[in-house]
Order: sequence, then C-alpha cells, then structure tokens
Amino acid sequence: MAEAKEPNPEFTRKVVEAGGKTVNLCFQCGTCTGSCPSGRQTAFRVRKVVRRAQLGFEEDVLPSDDLWLCTTCYTCYERCPRGVEIVDIIMALRNMAVRKGYMAEPHRKVAELISKTGHLVSLRDEDKALRKKLGLLETPPTVFSDPKALEEVKKISALCGFDKLVTGGK
Amino acid sequence: MGSPEPLEKDSVERTPSQGTRDATEPRIGVFVCHCGSNIAGVVDCVKVRDAAEKLPGVVVARDNKYTCSDLGQEEILKAIKEGDVNRVVIASCSPRLHEPTFRACIQRAGLNPYVLHMVNIREQCSWVHAHEKENATQKAIDLVRMGVSKAARLEPLEAREVPVERAALVVGGGVTGIQSALDLANMGFKVYLVESKPSIGGVMAQLDKTFPTGDCAICILAPKMVELSRNPNIELLSYSEVEEVKGYIGNYDVKVRRKARFVHEDKCVGCGVCTDVCPVKVDNEFDMGFAKRKAIYVPFPQAVPLKYTVDKENCLHFKKGKCQLCVKACTNKAIDHKMEDEVLDFKVGTIIVATGSETYVPMRKGVYKYWEYENVISALELERLLNASGPTGGHLIRPSDKATPKRVAFIQCVGSRNKKIGNNYCSRVCCMYAIKNAQIIKEHEPDTEIAVYYNDIRAFGKGFEELYHRVREEYGVEFFRGRPAKLSEDSATKSITIRAEETLLNKITEREFDLVVLSTGLVPSEGSKRIGKILSITTSPDGFFMEAHPKLRPVDTAADGVFVAGCAQAPKDIPDSVAQAKAAASSAAALMLTGKVRIEPLTVAIDEDLCVGCGLCAELCPYGAPELYESEKGGTKARIIEALCHGCGTCAASCPQKALTAKQFTDEQINSEIVAALTPICGAQKPPQKKNAETEV
Repeated sequence: MAEAKEPNPEFTRKVVEAGGKTVNLCFQCGTCTGSCPSGRQTAFRVRKVVRRAQLGFEEDVLPSDDLWLCTTCYTCYERCPRGVEIVDIIMALRNMAVRKGYMAEPHRKVAELISKTGHLVSLRDEDKALRKKLGLLETPPTVFSDPKALEEVKKISALCGFDKLVTGGK
Repeated sequence: MGSPEPLEKDSVERTPSQGTRDATEPRIGVFVCHCGSNIAGVVDCVKVRDAAEKLPGVVVARDNKYTCSDLGQEEILKAIKEGDVNRVVIASCSPRLHEPTFRACIQRAGLNPYVLHMVNIREQCSWVHAHEKENATQKAIDLVRMGVSKAARLEPLEAREVPVERAALVVGGGVTGIQSALDLANMGFKVYLVESKPSIGGVMAQLDKTFPTGDCAICILAPKMVELSRNPNIELLSYSEVEEVKGYIGNYDVKVRRKARFVHEDKCVGCGVCTDVCPVKVDNEFDMGFAKRKAIYVPFPQAVPLKYTVDKENCLHFKKGKCQLCVKACTNKAIDHKMEDEVLDFKVGTIIVATGSETYVPMRKGVYKYWEYENVISALELERLLNASGPTGGHLIRPSDKATPKRVAFIQCVGSRNKKIGNNYCSRVCCMYAIKNAQIIKEHEPDTEIAVYYNDIRAFGKGFEELYHRVREEYGVEFFRGRPAKLSEDSATKSITIRAEETLLNKITEREFDLVVLSTGLVPSEGSKRIGKILSITTSPDGFFMEAHPKLRPVDTAADGVFVAGCAQAPKDIPDSVAQAKAAASSAAALMLTGKVRIEPLTVAIDEDLCVGCGLCAELCPYGAPELYESEKGGTKARIIEALCHGCGTCAASCPQKALTAKQFTDEQINSEIVAALTPICGAQKPPQKKNAETEV
C-alpha cells in the first residue's frame, strides 16, 4: 500500500467495530510509549500506532512492521490515564492486517505450526527426554500422540480458512 | 431536608382569588400558532384549527401568525370574553418558553392562570418532522386532541406566597464564602458564616502568589478576612459544623454545632503566651507538615478569628490528665478544658454553599511514587515552600536533604483528566499555578533548570496566555510534551529520574531531577459531601454540586433558596470563585429584598384516608417534600411540605395506595390524553361532567 494521504474515518470506524472501541479517547500523552518495554529496544512507538488508527491512516498502519513488535504485556493498558484499551486496538489491527495479507514472518511461522502439528509450540527431542526424566509420558496425550485428532485439526483449519489466512493462499 | 411543621395556614398569604368563571361545564378555546413560518412552514395550521373546532367542548378555535404577540394575546382575550371560554388550549411552542406569558394573559381575562394547557407543535412537530408535512399536520391534530381532552379536566389552582426571612447562611469560609458573606452583609442582611476550621481563609490562605498577576494571596485575602470579622451584620461561626437544616425556601431552621475549642473566644486576645508554654509539638496541617505547631495554636498568623484552639487529640491534659501549663500562663483565664460543644439554632431565608474543594491526593501505589519518594511533592506543598511566611521563609528546599534543588520537574494533570481514577474533568488551575510557580522558582534561583511535563497547556483566562508566553521567553522554562510513564529514585542521592516520551519527537527520554512537583487537581471537599446530604442538593457525575442550569442559572441549585458558589460547584480559580460568590449573593439578596416568594401550586396533594404511612414517597422524593408524622386519628401518615415540592410526580407514580395526586397531572387527566391519542378524530370522548368544583383547590 502507498502511504496514506489523508485521514479516513471509515477505517477508524472499522477499528472501533473490530474491538478498538476506545481508540478515539486517546489524547496522545505518550504514557504508553514511555512504559513500553518493546519500545526501549526497538523503534516501536505504540502511541503512533494508536494515532494512525485514530485518524484512519490505514495504508500506514496495516502493512507496518510496528504492529508486530508489541509483546501484549499490557503495561500501557494499565497505565493509560484515558482508559484506552491499547492492546485490544493492536489485536484488532493485527486481525485486519492478516486479512489483507500482512503478517510478520515469525508470527506466520508460529501460526503455521497450528495447522501442521495442532500446537503452537513443537515437541523437540530435548523436551521428550526431559519429560521422560520427570516420569511423564514422552509424548503428551494431546494431538501429538493422536494422528486421528491431528487430521481433524487440519480439516478444521482448512474448512474455516485459517490455513489460507496464514499462508496467504500459498 | 424535612420540615418541623407544614406550612401554617396563617403564615401563607394567598394571592387574590382568581377565576370566577371556572366552575361550570368546560367551554374550551383553542389557539393554533403559526410562529411565523416556524410551525406554519410545515404544519397546516388552518387544518389543525378546523379539526380542533369539531372537538367536544371546544367553543372557539382560532389560528394566529404569532399568538404570543400583543395582537395574538388580544385575540385570546376577546375570544375568552365573547365565547365565555373557561379552559384554554394553546398549540404553539414549548411551555418552557411561553407558559408564563399565556398564564398572565388568561388571568387578565379573568380566568384562573392554571386552566391553561399548552400543546407543543413546534419542537415536537414542525421542527422534528420538517420533511413530512402531512404526517406533521396529523400529529399536530392528534396532540391538540389530547390537549383538549386534558384541558376539559383542568382544575383552577391557587399560587401562594410565603415570607422570606431576611438572613442568610453561608457555609464555608474560603474566599468564596467570605465574598458572599461580605456582599450580603453590605446590603444590610444578617449573615451567619459557618467554617469548620479554626480560621476562615480556606485554601487561598495557603497559597503563595496568585496567577497571572503575582499578587500575594494572603496579602489580598487578609484585609477581606478582617473586614468580615468587623462587619456587625456577620456572625462568624468558626470551628463549627452545620448539623441540620429543616424547612423550605425563605424559612430554613438551621442547627450549627460549635465545636469546643477549649478557649473562650470572648476572653482570648490572641497574645500567644499559651502557645509559647505548650510542650507539645505536632505537624502543622496548614504548612502541609513542613513545620510544627503546638497543641494550642492558631493555624497561621493572619488567622481570623485570632483565637487559639486546643487540639484535643494531642493536648497532654486530654491525653494524660495533666500539664495545664497554658491555663496557668493565660492572664485572661480564657482557656477552659471543660468546655463543651454548643448547639446554636437560628432561622435564615437563603443559604449559600461555598464548601470549596480539596486537592487530589495521589494514590498510595501510583507510578508517581508520592508516598515513597521524599522528593516527590504535591503542588500545595510547593506553595508552602515558596511562601515567605511559610516554614522555610520562602526559600525552596527539597525534603530529603534541605538542599536547594537545581533541577525541578512539574508533572501536569495528576488526578485530572484521568478516567482510571474516575476524575474525567480538567481541574482548570493546574496549568497556570505550575507556570506561576515555575516563574517564582526562576525569580528566586535563576539558574534552576525547570521542565514542565504537560499534555495540553490551558491558558484560557485573562492574562493567562501572556504569563505562559513570559515564562517561556523571559525565564526559559522548558515545556516537555509527554506524560511521564515511570519515576525512579537514586537511593544514594534521592534524586528522581523521569522516563517519558517527548511525543512531538517520538523520543523516549530519561532525565534526572532534584525535585518533582505533582500538579494535583481539585476534588470535591469532605465538607461538600456532608452539606450536600443535609440540604438534599444534587451533584454532577464528577461529585461537584450541580447547578440548576449550566448556562443560565449557574449558582442556583435544585433546592429553591439554596445557592452554590466557588469550587464546590466545579474547579475554578480565584477570580471565577469571587464572581460566583457575588452572583450567589445577588441571587440570595433578590429573594430577601422582596421578602416573599411565590410558590407554584403544581404540587402533590395527599388523601390522608388512603395513606397507610409506608414512607415510600419520602424515600423516593429528591427534594425531601413528603414527611411522616403520627396522625391524630392514629397511625403514621405522610404529608407534603408544599414549599419543597417541585411537582415532579415521582411519589404519585409510586404510591401503592394511590393516595398522592400530582396536580395538573392527575391519573384522570393523563388517562384522558392517552384515550384521546388512541381515539379516531370523530369519536373523541365527551368532556367530563363536573362532580365537585371544590375538589382540587
């Protein structure tokens, strides 16, 4: 997408509907940015994400890598004096971004694991060894040890379009 | 509020009897107003008139270009006389606008002013249905049909007048209460000023200088305090609390508790020998704990009255049963540890509530660490530290090591504009006092580095923007746009590091300061909460008292005869508080000057035989009008104090016995309107046959 040239109230309305109902309350004080642990290490400025959503600069906010730098730690959410539900806004924006085909690579890879293994976190050999040492089953009694269940997960993932959403149709 | 007794018959002057023509069968006159093109541009007024003409009971129907004009009123008078009309329906604008006009008009024609019914075909018809002319006309016809049906059942009512006591109660002795009391006293009215603290002066007495002019607060306030204490019309009741207020507009019975100060005011000359010998030292509240006072004290040197007070909590006599050094030292024998609270009763006609506000106290576990870090102080604490008569003689120090701070930060909007703590409002004074204090610090110590962490600067008053300009230009105060996210303390130096985003540059900064001042906002005072309950006056969602109209009745309350001024109504600065004080004084004086007040007869009537004394009405009434009493016939009954009743109908709607009737909104009248609304035009109901003309009077 090209850079946004003017505010788009229609997009703001969509953000509100998608769960960011407090977005218009933000008065840009920067408490969120100052509190943000991610922003201390990166160029992420959560205040700017909220401002772009507030003004409806869709083309600036959805393709942006910034959207994926939030760790959803909720510190900003707790400290915001206006009661802006910042993390909810980020989640709403991420959902919209994914539908447009934007997703950070690490997030996409993790999401792909769900379709492939039924789990977000894979089971490595080290994990199996540790489980054995602790007297647990090597493979936990979840989708990992049930090929039939895995087939079902894959079926659900395909039917509800999750697969396509994550791979972008690839 | 309740009342000790209902209106005495002989204390009520009745207006001259009106309405000799009312008691017969309804003969209704309907007047449809065009309001220029305001109504006629949408509603077909001629068609409405024609429809009205056919309604049962209607003897005259007219339409006018402007019914409220002299010409229009003349036509009403003529029609009433010619058609022997005894009920009037006017289809025009909202009754809020012209009901008084038309009441006066029909009264001139010899009718009782309350046999008038107004149908709103402007706000409720032409204005809201501007694009549906036909439907709007039909709705106007329907509304007129309902109005005619109700008008047929209207009863004449008598307005009453009650006398107004020519004395006022002013609650609160801050600058607002002081000004109100002085204005009323100078107009010749008796004033009782009640202040809960040992001295009047309020928060203003604690301040250093005032923005934007830099006048010393106590220097301009003290002369007013002294003037007040010398005014023969003012009875100053300091160290006192209003305990009870009963009655209604013009006639309030007030009970004030004069707390025992253990010093006879008439004997104490304020010499201070007692305080010199007192061995007890405690934190002085007036100096925000930065200085000590004795257990017998005056809060500050300019106190009015300059009478000493024994602090019972800390006095050794009360704690251990010994000492009495002050008693031995006092040559006037003014000190008396056996003194007891006194209760004072008096009567006033009007009340001004000037109970002020308090400064917001930051949360114990808040991110700004007010309770943890010594060098994080509140704005009011800074005022004392800058004050020449304060604990440091006006020399700014930081609490941890008493050193002069070289780097000072102000954090704005603490306790204001904050949804999380429930204070959504702007406190209106913090921007300007921070700017003013930044200037004072720079004047004292020009090389101090000052940063104001702000969000928006609100410099809206006379001379405010100019002061803001000056501290930037002449004093180089830095304004940093961003709300601090985190404060941390260096455990060795006790200096504070502020982390904040400079939002105009998207830059996250960390910067160390010697002293951090929290610009705390204003919150409703404890005194306000107490007096609000006693007087049954309502508050806005922010907890401050609600004015009767936000623009046009800014110092009136929902309780007639009770006015509110200053920070009790909303946060405001000194000029605004004084302006409101004067407004409240003039409103109260207007009532007391005429000496009597007219009471609307649209109140609630009670049928004692039906009342079972359940008390639901008394519980629900927002004005405290119903009260329960033991009937002579036996059993608890309710009665309505008419002067308190606003005729809102809450009690009548809730009474399980149907013992209460809201005059001009009786069940019969409302039902007739509903039936008329649902009845096709030709089959409208017959007007009622009058059973007894005397029932409602």
